[in-house]
Amino acid sequence: MRFFDLLTMSVNNLKRRKLRTVLTVLGVTIGTASIVVMVSLGIGLKEMTIEQYTSYGSLTRIEVNSNYGWGTDVDEDGFITDDTIKVLEAIPHVAHVSPVLSTYVNMRQGVYTSGTRLQGVSSEMLKEIELAQGTLPDPNANTMQLVVGNMVARDFYNSKTGKGYWDTGEMPDVDLYNRSFFITFQNSGSNNGKQKKYVFPVSGLVKGNPDEYNEYSYGLFTDIEQLKTQLKRIYRKNAIPGQPTNKKGKPYNYFIYDLVYVNVDEMDHVLEVQNAITDMGFYAYSSMQWLEQAQEQTDMIQAVLGGIGAVSMFVAAISIANTMMMSIYERTKEIGVLKVLGCSLGSIRNMFLIEAGFIGFIGGIVGLILSYGVSYLVNNFLGAALIGGSGDISRIPPWLSGIAVIFAIIIGMLAGLFPAIRAMKLSPLAAIRNE
Amino acid sequence: METAAAREVVIRVKDLYKIYRMGDTKVHALDGVDFEIYRGEFCAITGPSGSGKSTLLNMLAGLEHPTKGEIVITGKHIEKLNEKQLVAFRRAHVGFIFQSYNLLATMNAIENVALPLSFKGIPKAVRLKQAKKYLTLVGLGTHMKHMPNQMSGGQQQRVGIARALASEPQIIFADEPTGNLDSKTTMEVLRLMQQIVKEQNQTLIMVTHDNNLATYADRIFKIIDGKIVHIEENHREVDLVALEHAYQTGLPSEKIDESRDV
Ligand SMILES: Nc1ncnc2c1ncn2[C@@H]1O[C@H](COP(=O)(O)OP(=O)(O)OP(=O)(O)O)[C@@H](O)[C@H]1O
Ligand SMILES: [Mg+2]
Repeated sequence: MRFFDLLTMSVNNLKRRKLRTVLTVLGVTIGTASIVVMVSLGIGLKEMTIEQYTSYGSLTRIEVNSNYGWGTDVDEDGFITDDTIKVLEAIPHVAHVSPVLSTYVNMRQGVYTSGTRLQGVSSEMLKEIELAQGTLPDPNANTMQLVVGNMVARDFYNSKTGKGYWDTGEMPDVDLYNRSFFITFQNSGSNNGKQKKYVFPVSGLVKGNPDEYNEYSYGLFTDIEQLKTQLKRIYRKNAIPGQPTNKKGKPYNYFIYDLVYVNVDEMDHVLEVQNAITDMGFYAYSSMQWLEQAQEQTDMIQAVLGGIGAVSMFVAAISIANTMMMSIYERTKEIGVLKVLGCSLGSIRNMFLIEAGFIGFIGGIVGLILSYGVSYLVNNFLGAALIGGSGDISRIPPWLSGIAVIFAIIIGMLAGLFPAIRAMKLSPLAAIRNE
Repeated sequence: METAAAREVVIRVKDLYKIYRMGDTKVHALDGVDFEIYRGEFCAITGPSGSGKSTLLNMLAGLEHPTKGEIVITGKHIEKLNEKQLVAFRRAHVGFIFQSYNLLATMNAIENVALPLSFKGIPKAVRLKQAKKYLTLVGLGTHMKHMPNQMSGGQQQRVGIARALASEPQIIFADEPTGNLDSKTTMEVLRLMQQIVKEQNQTLIMVTHDNNLATYADRIFKIIDGKIVHIEENHREVDLVALEHAYQTGLPSEKIDESRDV
């Protein structure tokens, strides 16, 4: 028998018993909706966790710290140098590696002053900083250009009173983007003279209001190559503060980075890369490793939620099986007639499977529509109150919609399988006997 | 009429037994039956109630397995076929007319007639054309869209006949096809069956407990207690006029009385 003919017969049979069909479909509708809504809550929870972690820092980034000890116990194997960068870059799935060269500087604008780390990072890394105003530093400019964090001004204190924002709660009158400020570098060990004051152009301001935190908010950034040039110019042959020295107290003739950012191509590969780096003897840290743990938790919550939904789907499956069984008892004679007239056993089985699958299909579709409705209500009237935070707590991604309907069809057909086989095995003699 | 031996054998039954076991007792529904049926023949199986007529027909149609014996239809031993093969066999070779019509309540007349063709995977347009042809043939050209519950018993049985014929089977089985019809309709339906089957050289095997109806057949098999006691060649050209007269007037003719006590 052709599939379309089977489908027509099945649908006509469902139409014949409208009320019963509607009630069974209702069961599947509720079952599907409860699974979809529960899973959507799980997904929402999971995604919100990821979003939260993302706000702490890029999830594809690994921070690698050098591991060379302190003072006289310097172990040169633990240095992160340009050679190390090349090794890190060779690890599979590493997109790009940016060393961070940082040096402690003092900033001053008017009476306000603050100490902070000036971080030199690669131009690729700089590109990840979202700016509110201006541009990223030009690596080819003659002088070093800066990007200032949107919250850096908070750290300034009044040099006369010795009090700042953290003491008084009053924002210091500091505008690092529009007004110039002085920067002084640290003294080198041998050079005890007073350091020169520099003014560097500020090319960009990190995105966000003064009270909107992101990972770049408190930073002062520049291009690493320019920082190197600048440092060499200032300290010449002397040891640069913060850089390790050899056993004789002499500086190395290359830069040693205390921090490297390794950017991985995809979230899924972060831990793999991180393990490779740890195996090389460095300290590696990523938000991903914490997220992984958090995700185990959300996965479990999701499984529990899905399980609750599955119970009502199970009840719906039983009701489909029941409906189909009843239908088969009622139609014993009709099935016999079909068999006498030469309808193949497979077609009879399929007819009932399609009937059950169709109940699942309609229930799945209606259930999905219901889910969207419930999801809307939860997001708009419950979500925020339920767990706090922003964003939708119930999220139905397209794949969930697709799977839900397919799942409903499969459940329907599974529930219909036993009745269908039962129908297939009915005797054709039932058609002959008169009731 | 040619001699039987010269004609093609469609059904050959040899030493056929059907024994139902009911606890300790055995019911010999069929107790050693042998016969042959030829292409284009209209055979009637008669006998008293409980004699095994339906049992025989059901086994010929492959609805029941014999306890012992052979049934060869168009060269195939159908007693050896399994359920699946039997369905395929019926689909290909057999039409069936039921006493209680057994039309599908969800389908109208033309869809019911086209149903067996859909089992063969024939496309809808072709099916409906064929169904229309046979519905017209049984005189229901004007009732194609009627649902079973909108038709009289006689009309329903005509649809049943059209359904059995539509797939153009070699053999048509009918178990008491007129059992639920009044005498006038019975006449019409029987004549219709007889006529169409003759035109298309199909084999028709009909069970009836009514000897008068059996006179429409070419041969009459008489069964008593599971045994064929008598096979009668029928010269119905002579009988029919009287029979029809009898049914129309409601007065049984002498001939009919006679045949009743056989
Ligand atoms: N499924 C069964 N189980 C047990 N005995 C059966 C079964 N079917 C038929 N019989 C017995 O077999 C015998 C023949 O039955 P069958 O139905 O063939 O009679 P019939 O000639 O068609 O009678 P009727 O004219 O009343 O329809 C009867 O004695 C009946 O009781
Ligand atoms: Mg009978």
